[in-house]
Amino acid sequence: MDRYQFEDLVSDYIENNISMSQRKQVEAYLEENPEAKQKVESVKQVMASMKSMPGVSTSAGFMNNLNKRIAAEKEASSVVKTARSFTGYTPLMASLSAVVVVAVIMLGFEFMPEGSSQATLSPTMAEQQLDDLPEMPAQTQDNMLAESEDDSTEYDSDVPVKSNFNDRIQLVGDKRP
Amino acid sequence: MMNLSSRASSSIPSLNMVEDFSYTDEELIARFQEGDEQAYVELVNRYRDRLMSFIYRFVNDMEKAEDLVQDTLMKLYTHRSYYRNIAKFSTWIYTIAGNLAKTELRRKKRHKVTNLSQMGFEEQEYQLPSVEPETGETAQSHYAEKQIQNAIQELPLHFRTVVILRDIQELSYEEISKIVDVPLGTVKSRINRARLQLQHSLKDFR
Repeated sequence: MDRYQFEDLVSDYIENNISMSQRKQVEAYLEENPEAKQKVESVKQVMASMKSMPGVSTSAGFMNNLNKRIAAEKEASSVVKTARSFTGYTPLMASLSAVVVVAVIMLGFEFMPEGSSQATLSPTMAEQQLDDLPEMPAQTQDNMLAESEDDSTEYDSDVPVKSNFNDRIQLVGDKRP
Repeated sequence: MMNLSSRASSSIPSLNMVEDFSYTDEELIARFQEGDEQAYVELVNRYRDRLMSFIYRFVNDMEKAEDLVQDTLMKLYTHRSYYRNIAKFSTWIYTIAGNLAKTELRRKKRHKVTNLSQMGFEEQEYQLPSVEPETGETAQSHYAEKQIQNAIQELPLHFRTVVILRDIQELSYEEISKIVDVPLGTVKSRINRARLQLQHSLKDFR
């Protein structure tokens, strides 16, 4: 054991928090080093002196001052509460009012008469209205497509349309009339 | 056993009421959280001198220590809901006190204004000798205490906290570990180093 190992174990040795083998090592070191033994005794004295230091008490006016601070704290918190409800709405009241307003609006939509607004057309109602329409024969639908002047297929063709701009563009120096 | 709740609900209790309770600290803080202010009074009575001793040994200034104890107990009053019953009450209150004391020391270090009114009462008495003569034994004891107090002030803050909690407040290593929020091994090592440093500082005195 060297000096540093010994110093690391001083408190554990004094407080008896080391294993038996470590204790034997420390005691062997102390036998060989009288100044280390002196150090252990000094540390013990320091610990005892600190334990015996007189306790320090608060002053006589301590509780009175604490009472005053608590009273001030209570007053301050009541002022904050008053300030919060200055307009007549505490956070709780405001939340409850908001809930009531939303509930009234939702009930209003629920009881609104049918057909008064497109927004009230539910999917079920829309399906019912489609069922009410007179059924068109399939033949008529095909004819309507065939008679249409605009054929969308011609725009979907992959073959690029070649346009002749010769008659429309006249370059500088072009003698054509 | 007294019914704290019924007593507290009758009227706002005076903080000067001192009565004997057999509740644990944890039971008292639970009652205080439920609105029983008499439980707060009991906690104040149990801890004010312990905290005073801890903070005074830490900051070495009597007036400042008393202010910090008041701040700690005000925090207990205003932040009572922050306490959760997963740690001992003493751990929680010492943590608050230690943090406030460290903040004060850092602030003091920044401003570093020294005048007579900011000194601890021992220093004031040292500067202004008492009119009443002290007996030999008392003077010796007073002088020894002053030497130890001065040696404690020379310790780095992280050594100072743990050695005061261990050797003056006599808390367990486990509780100190929770208060300062460092591992148990580190706490043991710091306490050992602090003791060796104190022994070195007080070598000439002895």
